Amino acid sequence: MDDPFDLAAGWLQEHLLIPALYQFGLMNWEDVSYGWALFALYGVAQVVVTFAVCLPLERWRPVERWPDSGAVWVDVAYTVLSRVGILPFVTYVLFYRAQVVVSGWMADQGVVPPTLEGLFPFLLGQQVLTFVLYAIILDFAEYWRHRLSHMFRWWWALHSLHHAQRQMTFWSDDRNHLGDDLIAFVWFGVIALLIGVPPLQFPILVLVLRFLESLSHANVRLSFGWLGERLLISPRFHRAHHGVLAAGERSCNYGAVFPWWDMLFRTADFSRAYVRTGDPSGEEALATGTWLQQQMAGLRRFARSFGRRTVRHGT
Amino acid sequence: MPRLTVLLFLSFATLAGSVWGFTTPARAGGIAFIINSGGASISVIDMARQKEVRRIPTLREPHHLALSPDGHSLLVGDTAGNQMMFLDPNTGEVQKRMPVADPYQLWFSPDGKYLTVNGLARNQVDVYDAASMQLVKRFHVVATPSHLAYSPDSSTVFVSLQDSDKLAAFDLRTMTEKWTMPVGKTPAGVIWLNGKVLVADMGTDYIAVVDPADGKVLEHVPTGKGAHQLFLSPDRKILWVNNRAGGTTVSLDAATLQPIRSYAIPGGPDDMDFAPGGKIWITRRWAEKVAVLDPATGSYETIDVGRSPHGLFLNPKAPSPTVLSSR
Repeated sequence: MDDPFDLAAGWLQEHLLIPALYQFGLMNWEDVSYGWALFALYGVAQVVVTFAVCLPLERWRPVERWPDSGAVWVDVAYTVLSRVGILPFVTYVLFYRAQVVVSGWMADQGVVPPTLEGLFPFLLGQQVLTFVLYAIILDFAEYWRHRLSHMFRWWWALHSLHHAQRQMTFWSDDRNHLGDDLIAFVWFGVIALLIGVPPLQFPILVLVLRFLESLSHANVRLSFGWLGERLLISPRFHRAHHGVLAAGERSCNYGAVFPWWDMLFRTADFSRAYVRTGDPSGEEALATGTWLQQQMAGLRRFARSFGRRTVRHGT
Repeated sequence: MPRLTVLLFLSFATLAGSVWGFTTPARAGGIAFIINSGGASISVIDMARQKEVRRIPTLREPHHLALSPDGHSLLVGDTAGNQMMFLDPNTGEVQKRMPVADPYQLWFSPDGKYLTVNGLARNQVDVYDAASMQLVKRFHVVATPSHLAYSPDSSTVFVSLQDSDKLAAFDLRTMTEKWTMPVGKTPAGVIWLNGKVLVADMGTDYIAVVDPADGKVLEHVPTGKGAHQLFLSPDRKILWVNNRAGGTTVSLDAATLQPIRSYAIPGGPDDMDFAPGGKIWITRRWAEKVAVLDPATGSYETIDVGRSPHGLFLNPKAPSPTVLSSR
C-alpha cells in the first residue's frame, strides 16, 4: 500500500526540488532533499492534526479567555518555523552532517557507534516495540535536559522565553529561544550517537508523540483522570510546570510525554489545577514582543546571567 | 493510528500463516531483492508473480548490494547502521552481520580478490580482502565517494567523488592512488566499457568518456538531465543510462555510444538489473516502486516496494520465495 506522505514527498522531489537542484548545480543534495521533503510534510501534518484537535478543545473548555490574544500569533510563527521550516532543515542538513563527522571520527578510532537493535538483535523487525523503547529512552533524556535547563542560571535565561507566555496555548510547545533549541539538538545528537535514533522509521508514531506534547500546552481544562495522568502527561499536569510559581529553578513536572520520571525523581506535582502561566521575573518583551524582540530579550538575559546581580529566579 | 492497526493485522496474518501452514509445492520462480534505503528494509519479491512476499529488516539505511564471488552470499551495505549483512541469495535468509564503517556502494573485483566499499558519508574508500573480509587499505578521499568500477584485469578501481566533481583511480596492486581528475559536475555511476571509463555526471545531461590511463575526459555523450547510473546489457551490446532529473532511461549502442531509444520512467530511476526474457527492473527512488520495463514495447509494469528503493538483485534461478515464506 502506498504511503501518502512518501508519494507526496516524491511528487515534491520530482517536480520542485530536483528541477531546482539541477538548475542551481546542487544535485549532490538530491538524496538529502527527499528526506527534507518528508520531514517537512510530516511537520505540516503535525500542525494540521494538532490544530484540528486542539482548537476545538480550547474553544470548548478554555482555562482562560483573553480579550486580546495577539501574543499567541508569535507562538504560531514558532510552530511553523520549527515543524515545517527550521527543524527539518537543521535535522537534515546541519545535524546530519555533524553526525557524519562525529561518527566518522569514532569509526577512525575503531569505534562503530552502537544502536539499540545492535545491542539487542531481537528488536530487529519489531517496529512497535523498538519504537516504544526509543520513545521511553528519549523521553527520559528529555526530562533531564529540561530539568537541567531550569537548574543552570545561564540556561534558564534562554529557556525562560518558553515560560514567559501568559497566554499559553497548544501553539506554545515550540516557543523556544534559538540557543535553547541548539542545545537541545546537541543533546539529541549525543543521545543519537549513544543508541542510534532512526527518525524516519517511525514517522506516524513520532507524529503522535509531538501531538501529545502540543496538547499538553493547550489552554483547556482537560485531565486524564487519576490513572491516566500517571501514564501520559495531560494539559492539567503540564500547566502546573508553566505556572507563575514554577518558573525558575524550583519547578515541577518537567516531563514531556510520560510523567514517570517526575514521579521517580520526586518532581511530580499532581495537586495544582489550572494555574496562571508566565514568568514574572522576565522582561515584558519575552512575553509579548515580536519573534525577534523575544530572541533578543533572551540573549540579553543570557548575557546578564553571567554577572553578579543577574536573573531573578522564580519564587 | 490506522498504521498500527494494519501492522497488528499483518502480524496476525503472518502468525496465522506459520501456524496453519501452506502446502504449495516447490517451484522455480526466481527471487528479487530490492533495498528500501529509506525504509530500513529489503523487499523480497517473487519474480514470477512480480509481488512482494516479505521484508527483511535492516538497521538504518541500506543502499547497495553485491554478490560474493562464490555466489553463496549477497552482501548488503547498511550505511547509517555501519553494518554489512550477508544474505542467502536463494532464500534471503540472513547468514551473518558484521560491523563495517559506512558501507555505501560495494563491488567485488573481477578476479574475486578484493571487495571495494565506498564510505560516501565518511569520505573513505575501503579495500577488503574478499576471502577474509579483512581491511587491506583505506583511502581517504575528497569528497563523497559514490560509485565504482574496476578495470577488467582487476588492477585498478575507479571511484566517482560526487562533491568534488572528480574521478579517482586506485592501483590495487600497489594500493596507491594513481590519479584524481575532474570529470564533470556531480559524477555518479561509473562503468568500464571498451577500454574506457564512462562516468555519469548527475549535474549535467551527459556521460563523460574518460581515458583510464590519465583520467582525461575524451568526450561527452548526451543522455538526459541528471545522468546517474550506467549498466551494460548481459549481451554487452547496449549501454543503459538512468537520468535522475529527466526521469528517463536511455539505451545507447555500446560500441558507438549512439542513442537508440529513450523511455520515460518517472519517480527518479536509479539502479537496474536484467531479467531473463529481456525485461529490465528499475528502482524508482521516490515512487516506492520498481518498474519492470519491456524495452521492445516501451511499456512497464510496477511492483510496490518500500520507501526509497535503491539497489536491486535478481536471482531468476532461485526457488519461488512465495513457497519458501509459506512453509
